[in-house]
Amino acid sequence: MSSTPGGTGAPQDRLKVLSRRAFSFLLDWMAWGYVAYCVMYLLNYYWYTVHVDWWGTLTLPSWGWPVVILSTLELAVWCRSLGRSLGQRAIGVALRPVAGERIRLGRRVLRGFLWHLSVPFAPVWIARGEEPLHDRLTQVGLRTETPDPERPGRRAILTQWGFFSLFLAALTMCVGWLIIGINLQVLIRRAPQAGRIWGEMLRPDFRYFTAPDPVFHLRALSYSILDLTVVTVFMALVATVLGGVMAFPLSFLGARNVMGFSPAGWATYGVIRGFFNVFRSIETIIWASIFAIWVGYGTVLAGILALTIHTIAALGKLYSEQVEGVSPGPLEAVWAAGGSRIQVVRHAVIPQVLPSFWAFTLYRWDINVRMATVIALVGGGGIGDMLFYYKNQGDWSKVGAVVMVIVAVVWAMDYISGRLRERIA
Amino acid sequence: MPTPYLVIDGLTKVYERGQVHALRGLSFSVEKGEFLVVIGLSGSGKSTLLRCINRLIEPTEGKIWLDGTDVARLSAKRMRRVRRRIGMIFQQFNLVDRATTVRNVLTGRLGYMPGWRSLLGLFSSQDKQTALANLERVGLRDKAYARVDELSGGQRQRVGIARALMQKPEILLADEPVSALDPATSHSIMQYLEQMNRQDGVTVIASLHFLSLARRYGTRIIALKDGQLVFDGPPKTIDNAKFKEIYGEDAEEVEVR
Ligand SMILES: Nc1ncnc2c1ncn2[C@@H]1O[C@H](COP(=O)(O)OP(=O)(O)OP(=O)(O)O)[C@@H](O)[C@H]1O
Ligand SMILES: [Mg+2]
Repeated sequence: MSSTPGGTGAPQDRLKVLSRRAFSFLLDWMAWGYVAYCVMYLLNYYWYTVHVDWWGTLTLPSWGWPVVILSTLELAVWCRSLGRSLGQRAIGVALRPVAGERIRLGRRVLRGFLWHLSVPFAPVWIARGEEPLHDRLTQVGLRTETPDPERPGRRAILTQWGFFSLFLAALTMCVGWLIIGINLQVLIRRAPQAGRIWGEMLRPDFRYFTAPDPVFHLRALSYSILDLTVVTVFMALVATVLGGVMAFPLSFLGARNVMGFSPAGWATYGVIRGFFNVFRSIETIIWASIFAIWVGYGTVLAGILALTIHTIAALGKLYSEQVEGVSPGPLEAVWAAGGSRIQVVRHAVIPQVLPSFWAFTLYRWDINVRMATVIALVGGGGIGDMLFYYKNQGDWSKVGAVVMVIVAVVWAMDYISGRLRERIA
Repeated sequence: MPTPYLVIDGLTKVYERGQVHALRGLSFSVEKGEFLVVIGLSGSGKSTLLRCINRLIEPTEGKIWLDGTDVARLSAKRMRRVRRRIGMIFQQFNLVDRATTVRNVLTGRLGYMPGWRSLLGLFSSQDKQTALANLERVGLRDKAYARVDELSGGQRQRVGIARALMQKPEILLADEPVSALDPATSHSIMQYLEQMNRQDGVTVIASLHFLSLARRYGTRIIALKDGQLVFDGPPKTIDNAKFKEIYGEDAEEVEVR
């Protein structure tokens, strides 16, 4: 059994030990925090239905959150002191006495109490590079625990992790049921209304398929369904091409095996990857609402810009993961022949990644067509404008016609891009 | 007195990850026109040594004098100019599988090309002629427009040789060029290297696993053990005792015919 005392060793080792400890705490807090929240929620719900209103409530009272946080902290600490917590297991450590084999319960309880007193002084003992005060006072420490290879492991479901996950799953189902349970009845109660709408949608009105609808206007012009379908597909196409063209060069800057040789390279890599991740996590719909305000509500430009931005980030990330996955041999060969970084990219990386780049781009086009049909909801333009116009008019048979055209287009695009991807792969 | 063509002086490489001392103060020199074979057990540092010479791996310490310049100290840009004089062939061939044979051969020329031309992939017609001629030389003229993933291992290594020939190298580094090949094919590949060495006067440094191949083709052999030189001399002088010292007590010599 080797030991990892937090106090000795080089500064970076100490930092590693500390950050591992922080990680294990975080894990415990997440697990117990979830439990505490769910229990609090259930109790509150019960109390509310009995004393206030049979409907129950979904919000915690104002003092609920402090209680949840406090009990999370306490549960985690006691769990870590009295036994071996999930977090401690995750980083493979256990509480051990400095001398001797076992720790008496009394010492564990004492450590739990002392933790509360010693944590305010944490900056002091961290700065001094000592082991935590509560550990020193009770003569214990977190030591790495190597599993005994002789002892066969138990079935996964029978371990502490297994029980805990089952418990969490059950808790989640309980809370989840309370949240949706109230609303489920609506689904049945209002079925007749829905039936009427479905009926009308299934008898679609294709009157304005090619002829412009005289009532529906976009900036004083009227359009037919076909007009706007073409516009929508075109929006997706332009956004995919623009996005792909811009993501292509960026993806190499965001690949470790191309950039990771110098500090400047690493910095570029970090910036580009950060850009991809941030811009990708903002959905197209949100971009569309931003651009709708910026360049005009309901304009095609707003939609194209929104789709393009998201496409750059999403494709850039996929592309650069492909670049990182290339086999390093050809790169090495070009370096060895005296090639520059650009030549390495051009002659060793690109030939390897081009087929998957095409496949991803086609797939993205597919996604963009689907996105383009709905971004009109927030002012992004396209066929969605017509869809939501008819919906607001309550003209469900025309809605049905538009939806059917959308289904046909999306299905066709899916089929075409699927076939093309097959050909490439 | 003229200094040797390549002088390695106190070369040390420590891999940061795991603190592996792959080379420990290695020193030797190579004359122009030699066929030097590096032998040693797996993990003895052969690949590390070869890759330090053209700085695919940054040496931790020591000097590498190539024709009077210390390559260990060159800037990245100057290093590129030196690298194009150093050919290299690899155990795993390191070819772009999806590209055609002639495309792969042409990449050997990149070090000599201006940036914009290579970016567009515009190889001069002279380069293309040379590429085809080099493929002819390794007997692969008819496979020039086949994709590399259609070729056998031996054919791939010949493509690798043709690619190195494109550089018109003064020195050739071969890192276990035949480890992935069967004995007969191994000999044919080694004969191409021998031919480059004899006819074109290319200094060859090759790492090999089989002592029989080393004896047959090398004009001189050095042996590494744990990153240190344990033998340096002509092939004939490796006797059974030396062999045991290099490969360990239990080793048996295997013959490649
Ligand atoms: N990138 C690396 N990071 C860390 N250690 C490495 C790295 N590359 C090689 N090593 C270590 O350096 C030592 C020498 O490796 P090297 O590849 O030079 O040996 P070799 O003689 O070529 O072996 P083989 O015959 O198996 O190819 C080995 O102990 C290896 O584990
Ligand atoms: Mg090797």
